Amino acid sequence: MNDLCTDVGYMSVNKFAEQLCGDHVEVVRQDENALVAVLADGLGSGVKASILSTLTAKLISTMVANSLSLKECVEAMAATLPICKTRQIAYSTFTILRIDENLEAELIQFDNPKAILVRGGTSFDYPQTSEIIGDKTIFKSKLQLHEGDTFVAFSDGVEHAGVGLSLNFGWRREEITAFLEAIHDPTRTAKTISAMLLDECRTLYEGKPGDDATVCTVKIRRRTPMNLMIGPPSDPADVNRMMALFFSKEGKHIVCGGTTSTLAADYLKKPLSTSMPCYVAPDIPPTAEIEGVDLVTEGVITINKVLEYARDYAGPNTRYEQWCAREDGASKIACLLFEEASDISFFVGRAVNPAHQNPHLPINFSIKMNLVEELSQCLRQMGKNVKISYF
Amino acid sequence: MKVTVCLGSSCHLKGSKAVVEALQRMAEEHGVSEKLKLCGAFCMGNCTGGVCVKLEEKIFSLCLDNLDVFFEKEIMTRL
Repeated sequence: MNDLCTDVGYMSVNKFAEQLCGDHVEVVRQDENALVAVLADGLGSGVKASILSTLTAKLISTMVANSLSLKECVEAMAATLPICKTRQIAYSTFTILRIDENLEAELIQFDNPKAILVRGGTSFDYPQTSEIIGDKTIFKSKLQLHEGDTFVAFSDGVEHAGVGLSLNFGWRREEITAFLEAIHDPTRTAKTISAMLLDECRTLYEGKPGDDATVCTVKIRRRTPMNLMIGPPSDPADVNRMMALFFSKEGKHIVCGGTTSTLAADYLKKPLSTSMPCYVAPDIPPTAEIEGVDLVTEGVITINKVLEYARDYAGPNTRYEQWCAREDGASKIACLLFEEASDISFFVGRAVNPAHQNPHLPINFSIKMNLVEELSQCLRQMGKNVKISYF
Repeated sequence: MKVTVCLGSSCHLKGSKAVVEALQRMAEEHGVSEKLKLCGAFCMGNCTGGVCVKLEEKIFSLCLDNLDVFFEKEIMTRL
């Protein structure tokens, strides 16, 4: 066990007017330190391509995760994939990236554009060997990884961006590499890198992609613990125990909820300062400050907003701009949890706030408990380690 | 003089923001912005009524409709 972790983020755009994507990404986390990511691009577009790529990605990721040899995987795939009637071939390209101990990478590529590795802000040309299995030439690489190493795998739809529109020959590999080097920033997450590359791609296509385009970014980063406390414990006698456990944790500390922050301020023997209410976002209550706490916010309304952002970020990621640089409580929590953190501990107090049991208010106890549950699910989808302790 | 407006979840939903803005506006209209210090606070534990506003340790339950009266009767008379 080292203090590194692997951050994976992928996104797709569909070919113009298609409802299904013909590319598919599958990620299998074997344990905390090992994972397999597969990006497959099915022949053609629409339903057929979607079935081919989904089958390929699922099959390969499962087989590789179970340590089957590459030959067996490729053979099983050739025997399983349905054959296209018009073209008489069963075909899907793929890129397999397997990471072990967050330090060793094995890369297997078949007919997809060669994945780009960015190391320390510049692209790193890694060695490849080829192997012929059946009628397929497959490229393999094995290399040691460093903190910050970022693999960007993409389907050919990315290279075809702008063909005949803004660019005569599409978006060439060197230009994609230059783009990735230009947006290099150690704090960016895999998801953000994928989103930025795909955004550029969509622009080059002038909003009407001629092919499905998918980007899958895998980044080696340092583990960052984060702690969030919400709600006072159900038994008031547990306040000190809860606070002591929370504040003894490594990493940043976020306290949510009015009563909870008052208790935290008492425990730390520091004043809770809300000062002049400053509404950066009209729908989110202002934040406060306690010396020794990284962020103090209101509880249930703020977390509800964070959950909205989380659902979006784990999926289509259309609201990133709404929170990435804003200063309201919900946006700040979103940045800390989605971008900065890798391991998140929730400290959830189960005290019932009598004030919230008013039937005229859209907040009550069960909603609060569900919020944390749902938020943790979204965070797990983002690949975070999440622990919840109830008090 | 310090006027503290509750910004807790419950009061937020009942319109803390509108109350803060209205108080700021009234203070300007009466030319007393200098003398009035507006503050925020988290839950004051009195969530059943309107938006909680604390004035010299006394808690008032307010909404936009009774804010004018509160300003004239409680704030202006104490300045």
